[in-house]
Amino acid sequence: MNKSFDFSQYSRQSVKGILILYIQQIYAILKVSWVLIFFIVKDFSKVSKIGEFYIYAGGFLLLTFFLVRAILLYRNFKFKIVDGHFILQKGILKKTDTSIPFERIQNINFKQNLIHQIINIHELTIETAGSSNTEISIKAIELDKAKALKEVILESGKIVSNTINTNEDKPLLKVSVLELLKVSLTENHLKNLFLFLALLVGFFQQIQQIAEGFGKVETLDGFIEQSSSALATSFALLFLALIFLIIIGFISSFVRVFLVHFNLSAYLKNNAFEINQGLFTKKSILLKKQKIQTITISTNPLKRLIGISYVTFKQAVSGKINTKKEKVIRIVGCKNNQIETIKNSLFTVSEFKDLEKQYPDSYYKNRIYIYSFLLMAIVYVTIIFFLKEYKILFSLALVLPILLISIRKKVQKRFYKLSKNYLCVGKGIIETHNTILELFKVQNIKLTQTFFQKRKDVANLVLQTASGKITLPCLTVKEALFLYNYVLFKVETSQKEWM
Amino acid sequence: MKSFKNDVVFKLPKIEDVEFNEINKHYLNVIFINFFITFIPFITALILLNTYVFSDSIKIYSTLIFITFFIFWGFILFYYIASFPLRKYGLRERDISYKSGLFFKKMTTVPFTRIQHVEIDEGPISRLFNLASISVYTAGDSSDDLVIKGLQKHKALQIKEYLSKKVNE
Repeated sequence: MNKSFDFSQYSRQSVKGILILYIQQIYAILKVSWVLIFFIVKDFSKVSKIGEFYIYAGGFLLLTFFLVRAILLYRNFKFKIVDGHFILQKGILKKTDTSIPFERIQNINFKQNLIHQIINIHELTIETAGSSNTEISIKAIELDKAKALKEVILESGKIVSNTINTNEDKPLLKVSVLELLKVSLTENHLKNLFLFLALLVGFFQQIQQIAEGFGKVETLDGFIEQSSSALATSFALLFLALIFLIIIGFISSFVRVFLVHFNLSAYLKNNAFEINQGLFTKKSILLKKQKIQTITISTNPLKRLIGISYVTFKQAVSGKINTKKEKVIRIVGCKNNQIETIKNSLFTVSEFKDLEKQYPDSYYKNRIYIYSFLLMAIVYVTIIFFLKEYKILFSLALVLPILLISIRKKVQKRFYKLSKNYLCVGKGIIETHNTILELFKVQNIKLTQTFFQKRKDVANLVLQTASGKITLPCLTVKEALFLYNYVLFKVETSQKEWM
Repeated sequence: MKSFKNDVVFKLPKIEDVEFNEINKHYLNVIFINFFITFIPFITALILLNTYVFSDSIKIYSTLIFITFFIFWGFILFYYIASFPLRKYGLRERDISYKSGLFFKKMTTVPFTRIQHVEIDEGPISRLFNLASISVYTAGDSSDDLVIKGLQKHKALQIKEYLSKKVNE
């Protein structure tokens, strides 16, 4: 243990923090005004000499202001440890004093983005279970000091204590670059493509908004019109676009996987997982087993072929304000034996053996068929009615088999297994997701039944956990009520803390 | 269903056997008032549209539009009235339940051990009838927690007391 740091007196973050704070402010302003800056730079030649001077002067003043602010932020940020409390003072004009008792601290995470890595410094975040002040972050701190601080807090608190030295243990899994390549090849490219397109749409909307302000909307409109009419006439172009999209999908899968999961390694501790990953932003997450609400093991046909799947851990979302916080942690590229290790460490796996899969009532299947065919009918009728394009009916030859197979797969993969303490829920169409939930972690339980379901004597069961809900659709009422009563019994007789 | 039947060696307490209480009858008045507060702007807008905006080609269908309009709102009102007696709550030793709905039946149960906090709200119209609603929050998605509307105020306070006592046990 490192005793060379004295935390009983106020100490500041590392001096390098000034740089971090400075860059963060610049980044924040760039993020909101990059389009504006783009247009200024583009038409820079048109700006008069005097205008040019004002732009430079303004930029200079802004940068100086940020620098001064960064220094002041640094000067006013102090923390110490007194009587099992972490005490933090910060703020330039509005001063805040925060004091957190150790036992309320849930997680201590280290993070490094690109700049942190260059100047060899870490960001330390402290998560608490409190209501309003849920997170504290020390922007720049030396690794030694951070570790020492973590150790001090861990030693006196209830938190896992053997989490400091990651190098000594043998990792549960380590994903090499080659394996990561395999993972990204087998990703759901369609989903990644949509994510990318959504990003792109947002990007274009931003440009369009600004362009409108500059009175250039006509040119953009013209461009879009041109390209869309060309698309409509030429099938060759459509085909090319399709291939282009597929390639984009592949690339976005690669970029996403490599950015987030680069150098992924996971360690299994007594009562926590430690997960390190990230290319530009390195993250080290300590995931307490107790805090995990559900885990989901997912795979798809390609991944199954090379024997890998990914595990998604869902933690309790504390405080309703912080929704963007990452409470979902994913480990990719797990082999089957590693999955077993993870399962074994979290659950009494023997319970899962020889359990029969329970499927929803046939009402579920019928409902999906009716809904999909209704939707398809509406789409086709609208197209034929408005566009008078009867040739579109030929596409049914392709759409119908895909639809039928998808529905079949969806129904096949919908099941649940109930053991004494756990519920295992399967779902998916192309991908397969298996979620495991410890019954006593359910927060509240709900039974819903529509008019049509009542006639067939089926109902949906919704289990609400602290990390989202799990729905079991269209069970027979008898079955649903049994589960309802059983889960309530489990929750109400459990002595364990749900987080 | 059959495979896990063996696990249970004793009888589970059944939610079906719980005696559910109806909420206060006066709450129907609150529903009526709320209904008309929403309804009046719509009907006013429609009348104004019909008198000033609609062109003659649309006015041919005026009667039809009004009939559809009234059927639509009448249906909503009917639904409120018909589903009113189905709004019921039940308290047990260890949990609280609420059920409602005619076409879309819903039943929610929150175990006391999972309650984060309990809130009592009095809307301006509810206050006229001395009614209050009680909301029970858990750590789950807040929109799916339990809300019982239309309880007599002293009853709501009583339940809150009971819940607070149970939660702190």
